[in-house]
Amino acid sequence: MIKIKPETKTLICIGTGGVGKTTLAASFGVGLALEGKKILVLTIDPSKRLAQALGLKPDGELHQVDLSEVSGGNKPAGQLWSCVIDHQKAFEKFIRQASKNVASESEINRLLKNKLYLQLSGRLSGSQEFTSLISLYQYVQSGVYDLVILDTPPAQHTWSFLNAPEKIANLFNEGIANWFRAGNESGSLFKKIVNIGTTQVLKALELLTGSEFIKELSSFFKAIQNWQGPLEAYVMNCHRLLISPQTEFVLVTGLDPSRLKEAYKLAKEIRTQGYKLTSIVINRVPGWLSTQTTATFDPKTSLVEGDRLNNIIHYYQSLETELKKSIQSFSSQQSVYKCFEFSQNTENVPQLKINYDQIIEIT
Amino acid sequence: MVKKAHFVTGKGGVGKSLVAAVLARHFSQKNQHLLLAELSEFSFYKDFLDLPQIRYTPTNWTGLVDVAQWSAQDCLREYALHLLKIQKLYELFFENPVTRSLVQVAPGVQELAILGKVTSSPRRHGPPMSYDQLVIDAFATGHFLSLLQAPKAMADTIPFGPMGDQSRSIDKLIRDPNFTEVHVVSLAEELPITETLELYFELQKTFQIKPKVYLNKLFNLTEKDLSKLDANAQDYLSVQAENELKAKKTLQKNQIEFISLPLVTTLNTSAIIDSLLPYVTGVV
Repeated sequence: MIKIKPETKTLICIGTGGVGKTTLAASFGVGLALEGKKILVLTIDPSKRLAQALGLKPDGELHQVDLSEVSGGNKPAGQLWSCVIDHQKAFEKFIRQASKNVASESEINRLLKNKLYLQLSGRLSGSQEFTSLISLYQYVQSGVYDLVILDTPPAQHTWSFLNAPEKIANLFNEGIANWFRAGNESGSLFKKIVNIGTTQVLKALELLTGSEFIKELSSFFKAIQNWQGPLEAYVMNCHRLLISPQTEFVLVTGLDPSRLKEAYKLAKEIRTQGYKLTSIVINRVPGWLSTQTTATFDPKTSLVEGDRLNNIIHYYQSLETELKKSIQSFSSQQSVYKCFEFSQNTENVPQLKINYDQIIEIT
Repeated sequence: MVKKAHFVTGKGGVGKSLVAAVLARHFSQKNQHLLLAELSEFSFYKDFLDLPQIRYTPTNWTGLVDVAQWSAQDCLREYALHLLKIQKLYELFFENPVTRSLVQVAPGVQELAILGKVTSSPRRHGPPMSYDQLVIDAFATGHFLSLLQAPKAMADTIPFGPMGDQSRSIDKLIRDPNFTEVHVVSLAEELPITETLELYFELQKTFQIKPKVYLNKLFNLTEKDLSKLDANAQDYLSVQAENELKAKKTLQKNQIEFISLPLVTTLNTSAIIDSLLPYVTGVV
């Protein structure tokens, strides 16, 4: 079990790829819903088995998860909802909501057809991080759920997620936009810029990219001309949600020396940046180890040959020893938990509940 | 001149960086000067290889292998400086917050900058590189595909001008099997295998690239090994054994050749790399 403050409305699971964030986020969802809360789990790319277990479809819609199997025949105390984020849909929803009352239908449609917008809303350059965040904001804002859990995208690193609002806000920023808006034709807009420095910069940009690129950019900024304020405000609200006292971050990592080191660095950075990191979960710790007889581990021997089984057992024991050492390096400001690895062949709601129940705090 | 670029990709957490390091060592044994480049903002190799510092300017790791860290920003800066020639103009261009944000958000620009650097030597565009081959510890599967697709996407969006020309020449090299090789690392688990299959067929379809596939961290336990364990451990490890068998069968069924790499049961990086070298020798 994991300690979440009662007033917390948003739980964000972060960590590098392959540590089991998605399954863990779902486990939190099952466990907390059974404790009586109305929970929504927002996820990015669930495995087929997990999607089946939760009745998920990659359609960006909300689906209620059947908890009857784990509530002992009674009506479950809470509710669990889940949703796989559809990035294209989420981006369009954001544009439509943010520009409500300030843009006409045809203006919105013009933007939605802009080449730059199409790429922006697609898979390039961190747009998944952004759509995850706006989806999170929309659902938290709706007030329908006691807690919304976000499983963040498998980013190269978590920064692209945390920086997403800033990056996108920069795009809608007056400064940049004004460059491209000085006139109606792309030719004249440059002439109107009196600042010599800016002219030089634009010349350099044109030399590097060509005038076609500038033309696309220019039409993009013209399209969002009148509703830049609301867009920017919306993005700012997303950022505010991340630093809200009702938002908790959970860092998920694995039992591997380089991962633990990475997690340590990340935890420190997250705190420095002012986000509320409350828990660190060491995921996929092999539970079968504890029942085996212990033997000493000699790190000097190359262990590919020899007794394979013993070597594997020794290896995992040495990982646990490393873990104990590194726990001390994490700050006392967070609780550190471990969660046992379970067979992936049994990814279903009862297994997720067991998973949740078995999360134990390491002290 | 750089004759070959090896991209190493796979789902997050499968051991891409380790395999990239093994490959770099392996190729260097044929008297080749190698650069191992990581595409992350925070260096993984610094701690992993226990080096004092890893930057854009290469650092020697071992023998003929150097290591560097390439951010899109650095690649673009180098390229811009090379093209603009005038330091003053370059400073004006890059030390401007507006340009910086623009580069960050403009879709495809970062990807293009990285691939521009990877292909700069054979295209003779940019500062010369004295390496024979590059091994790039690249992005995870999805992001990796966007990386390779960026030059074509950019050339289609902006067909004219220097950006269009550059994009086309980069794209051409990416599709040249004599220059580009892709190595996909996987684990014997459902999600990594699914991603590997998708990527394998997508690379063949879109780029006519036939990637090398690696099945990493295999336990390779026998029935006899398993029988020595108590019930709880047996349960867990027999699932592992089943998954390994299943993964191999799935790859075979799809006629994908693969290289099996065992889980190396030590925490010492150089021992891990040494243990894995024989598995790629003669195969890659």
